Amino acid sequence: MLEKLSLDGKTIVITGGGTGLGREMSVAMAKAGADLVIASRRMGPIEETTEAVREQGRRAVAVSTDVTDSAQVNALFERAIDEFGKVDVLFNNAGIVRGQGSIPIWDISDEDWRIGIDTNLTGAFYCSRAVAKHMIERGGGKIVNVSSGFGFRGGRDNYMYTCGKGGIVQLTRTITTSMSRYGITCTCIVPGFIPTEGTAESNDTLPRGGFIPMGRVGRPHEMGPLAVYLASDASDYMNGEMFTIDGGGLAGGYAPTGYAPEIPLEV
Amino acid sequence: MPIPEEWNLSGKAAIITADRRGWTPFLAAALAEAGADVAIAGSTHSDAADAAKAVEEQGRRALNITTDIMNADEVEAMVQQVVDEFGKVDILVNNAWADFGKPFEDVLEAEWQTLLQFNVRSKFLCSQAVGRRMLAQESGHIVNIGSGLAVRGLWNSVAVCAAAGAVHQMTSSLALEWSRRGIRVNGIGAGWITTEEQTEESQRELLVRYLPSRRKGHPTDLCGLLVYLASDACDFVTGQTIFIDGGALAHA
Repeated sequence: MLEKLSLDGKTIVITGGGTGLGREMSVAMAKAGADLVIASRRMGPIEETTEAVREQGRRAVAVSTDVTDSAQVNALFERAIDEFGKVDVLFNNAGIVRGQGSIPIWDISDEDWRIGIDTNLTGAFYCSRAVAKHMIERGGGKIVNVSSGFGFRGGRDNYMYTCGKGGIVQLTRTITTSMSRYGITCTCIVPGFIPTEGTAESNDTLPRGGFIPMGRVGRPHEMGPLAVYLASDASDYMNGEMFTIDGGGLAGGYAPTGYAPEIPLEV
Repeated sequence: MPIPEEWNLSGKAAIITADRRGWTPFLAAALAEAGADVAIAGSTHSDAADAAKAVEEQGRRALNITTDIMNADEVEAMVQQVVDEFGKVDILVNNAWADFGKPFEDVLEAEWQTLLQFNVRSKFLCSQAVGRRMLAQESGHIVNIGSGLAVRGLWNSVAVCAAAGAVHQMTSSLALEWSRRGIRVNGIGAGWITTEEQTEESQRELLVRYLPSRRKGHPTDLCGLLVYLASDACDFVTGQTIFIDGGALAHA
């Protein structure tokens, strides 16, 4: 049964793979046997990740891609298929926190809104659209989205991130209901607060761990095994599901963490 | 392929509760394949004996302990026996579940009681008896095998859905309570799972055609997730019920 966790022979395209959680997931999947196409706007970080993948003895290419530009997204998949002949799994991981700190609604420009939604939601749509027919021709594939705890709860003065990530949840369900019949499954990782270099700007305002039930923030390497599982054949019957890894954050939230009433039973 | 290090359960001791559904041998075998020794607790009518055999076939130690999991004393004795034999308990899989379908107006009070005793109270008893020992060692993983019926209704299934909802919330709330004490509590929300072979005829069933994945699941579809949730790789995951249902909830 556990041999199903192997990613040997699989080709995986991951967006936002240069830094943070994307990098961690890429290296973990390479370790499990996958070849990777790593996309992100900036060439420097994705070249570092491809190097880390190659150190695992796997093949990797870095493709500079702005996921908000559908022409670049289409070119990404052409390149992936040129290099590896196929795409088995797509990880829609790109998103931005940068510049997404608290902004009151009246100060958000049309441009801010458009860029935020495009990066956090439209990019995943473009990538899914670009790979869909290829996966169908091959008889199937897996699309793994990355949302956030903020895809489920509100964030104060944080519109584009929460709305984009909430949209990712519905994208997941809609791909499942639309494309399962072609053998394509879609799942979604919902990370809680896992500080990386990319979140440095907001690390000061985000919880340190005190508000997380488990009492600590996540560690980037903890994303690895989950990414491997969702990319692997071991998760074939998981479809349309949001997999939360957040130290218990979304399981609570009805009262402040630690609020523990003691009330005698009287009936 | 060697098992990825994150999934390795070598040296871990697990307890899984058994029932009549026939899933236990597959789930127990997966834990054993990942390296765990496994105790199986269930009645003589359950699939516990098959599960013990499946564990031994993986080269791990199995303990088949006949237990009425609705009886607190028997549960406590079972857990103590596992501690005596294996030295500890690292993993509890609350797998036992009974299905039941009947128009609500005809459900007998005794049926309601028994169903909730078996599906819910047993999880309270096992989680508490095992959990107290996990608290002492400051580590442990509890996995509740639940159902998509925790969050959706079904005709003739008020009792089963109420039980499933209860298990779902036991998972969330116990996870919070023990989240800073080294214990992870998660659930698997199983969809339409069967051990029966799927044939061309079964594929034409209305229910199967309704599912996005166009097939019923098999207990082995749950195994990868079970091993993950039983392992230390899931340390930042707690209070979650992860549904494996072929997409049923995505359009339900």
